[in-house]
Amino acid sequence: MNLRMVGCNYRTAPVEWREKLAFDAAGHAKAVTEVAARFGCEVLLLSTCNRVEFLVAGSVPGGTPPFDAGLAAEFLAEVRGVPAASVAPLLYEHTQAAAVRHLFRVVASLDSLIVGEGQIAGQVKHAFEASQGLGVTGPLLNALLPFALRTAKRVRTETGITRGHVSVSSVAVDYVRQVFDTFADKTVLIVGAGKMGRLTLKHLQELKPRRILVTNRSPARAVEVAALCGGVAVPWDELDDALVKADIVVSTTGAGEPIVTARRYAAKVAPRRTGTQVILDIAVPRDFDPAIHDGDRVCLFNIDDLTRVREQTLAGRRKQVAPAEAIVEHEVKKFTEDWTRRRHGPVIGKLTAEVDKLRAEVTAQLLPRLNGKLTDEDRKTIEGAFRLFQNKLLHGPIAALHEAGREGQSGTLLESLKKLFRLE
Amino acid sequence: MSSPLENVSHACFGLSYLVAFACEVARLRWPSRPLRLTGLGWGAAGLLAHSAFLIVRHPTPASPEGSLLGVAWVLAVFSLYGSVHHAKQAWAVFVLPVVLGLVGLSFAETPVAAPPWLPGERGWGSLHGLLLLLAAVGVSVGFLASVMYLVQAGRLKAKRSPLGGLAMLSLERLEAMNRRAVNVAFPLLSGGLLLGVVLLRHGEDLAGNLFTVKVLGTLGLWAVFGVLLYLRYAANVSGRRLALGTIVAFALFLLVLASTHPFAVGAGGRPL
Repeated sequence: MNLRMVGCNYRTAPVEWREKLAFDAAGHAKAVTEVAARFGCEVLLLSTCNRVEFLVAGSVPGGTPPFDAGLAAEFLAEVRGVPAASVAPLLYEHTQAAAVRHLFRVVASLDSLIVGEGQIAGQVKHAFEASQGLGVTGPLLNALLPFALRTAKRVRTETGITRGHVSVSSVAVDYVRQVFDTFADKTVLIVGAGKMGRLTLKHLQELKPRRILVTNRSPARAVEVAALCGGVAVPWDELDDALVKADIVVSTTGAGEPIVTARRYAAKVAPRRTGTQVILDIAVPRDFDPAIHDGDRVCLFNIDDLTRVREQTLAGRRKQVAPAEAIVEHEVKKFTEDWTRRRHGPVIGKLTAEVDKLRAEVTAQLLPRLNGKLTDEDRKTIEGAFRLFQNKLLHGPIAALHEAGREGQSGTLLESLKKLFRLE
Repeated sequence: MSSPLENVSHACFGLSYLVAFACEVARLRWPSRPLRLTGLGWGAAGLLAHSAFLIVRHPTPASPEGSLLGVAWVLAVFSLYGSVHHAKQAWAVFVLPVVLGLVGLSFAETPVAAPPWLPGERGWGSLHGLLLLLAAVGVSVGFLASVMYLVQAGRLKAKRSPLGGLAMLSLERLEAMNRRAVNVAFPLLSGGLLLGVVLLRHGEDLAGNLFTVKVLGTLGLWAVFGVLLYLRYAANVSGRRLALGTIVAFALFLLVLASTHPFAVGAGGRPL
């Protein structure tokens, strides 16, 4: 194998540096082509908000591509217009099997800021397709990347590490989906205009509700938010009527005390409503009295409930890290062995054939000299002894080659064998 | 020569359903495709054996055994369909216990012969049986939807993680399922009951036939359904209360199914 991974991620580089080093689509293509041309290697560039990594593969088996951390720092400094000395400390590098392991961990989202996040596999796939489109992939990356993506899929399906949502707004939508099945006939009411409320609304908008009502103490702010989400502004003093109409309520006011007490809800809203209502109270302090919640007519979830589910999901994912790492380790071993077999197969085949030929020549010379003195049994025993000698002789070099291959370090040995046995 | 299908017994499909149920329960702890396929396979095998039993033995729907097995068969189809259609939901976990319960109850019943209809009554009798069987399916589906509703509402009340435990349909979907089942069952039940009363009038002992557990239970069931419909459409009652009402109706329905039909011959029905 001839593989190197060099780059930086959220652990080694602060966000202001990752912003400087990240590539947009045009810059990405240019950088990939440039590295491939300058260093004569296969290239994949993964540039996301959390990492910028080059995966490079050389053509000489067992060597390592020249594009190391030093050259990568110089290259990034050149294309990004920053001092190389500042970039170099941010970079890390892995070679051979360690590079394979790193790639598999990245694709399986074990190296992500939020373990189990689902985007990274798609980003790696996209980067691979971009490199293929530019014609800068070869035998190694074309074998390695599909293997890495399969590994990520195995990790996802066998461990469930990507299960659940870890953003509060997504968890809120998960709860809404436990209550409602269709949204085309639903009314969403936004009370207040907090940031979290807007985020939750963004997720709810994807469900395509029938209408969105917005109310705020400041009528101008209500109109502004309503315009942003294609909703209708409702005067603040009509809150009770709006609550009666709403199926889903998202509340994020900055009020110092509950704006809807259990008594107010029971008197003004509950008697006039049919069907279940979901209230997502994301405000701190809370806008709705928790006593309103009954899990049947009213399902009220506040920020603590949503955060608790988020923490449960994260804890669940953390439990899956060890099994996921075991899968990655197994797949790394499998890939390096497969790759080694593919690279060593022809050489071992040639070596065996060459020694077979020599053995046949020697026995062909020996046996006629002993003609008449040997039974068929003796001939078979002699031939068997030579075959055994040949196997014992070749076992050492072949085993050493496989062992070195597992570490991704078999290149030099392979070349030596070729020279020693004149296999070129 | 007897057909091998004649050897199919309650145990064949009952045990198949039991294994399918065990697979479904195991799947809650260890979700896996092979376990799902195994569960589906046993469910399908049970349904096949169940169908063979109904075709070969042909128990009369007028008998508790026949009606219990008939409803169990429809629910087994419902279970298999739901398991395929709602692959991610814990569907069979709810349906199969009801199927197993009905099969178990039918096993405890003594087989009785079909009623000796008077000339011209056979068609009406069959229609009466069919209407009540379909209504029974509606009651069972309503019951299942109600149980699922209560479980889902309980989870929401406790604010459990949406992804933990059983994967279930939304409250709205379950409520709609219950509503449709009751809406469909009520007219079928009314029609079947009316036809039954007319057929009873032609019997020898009208009063004796009328005051049987079966007839009185069916009338009670009809009344409970009427109340449920009123509560749903006129009184704005919560989904939880409606679900509880449907469960009560199902209990009454089980009593009706397990009691002997006044027209049946032998085993507590008419004398042989």
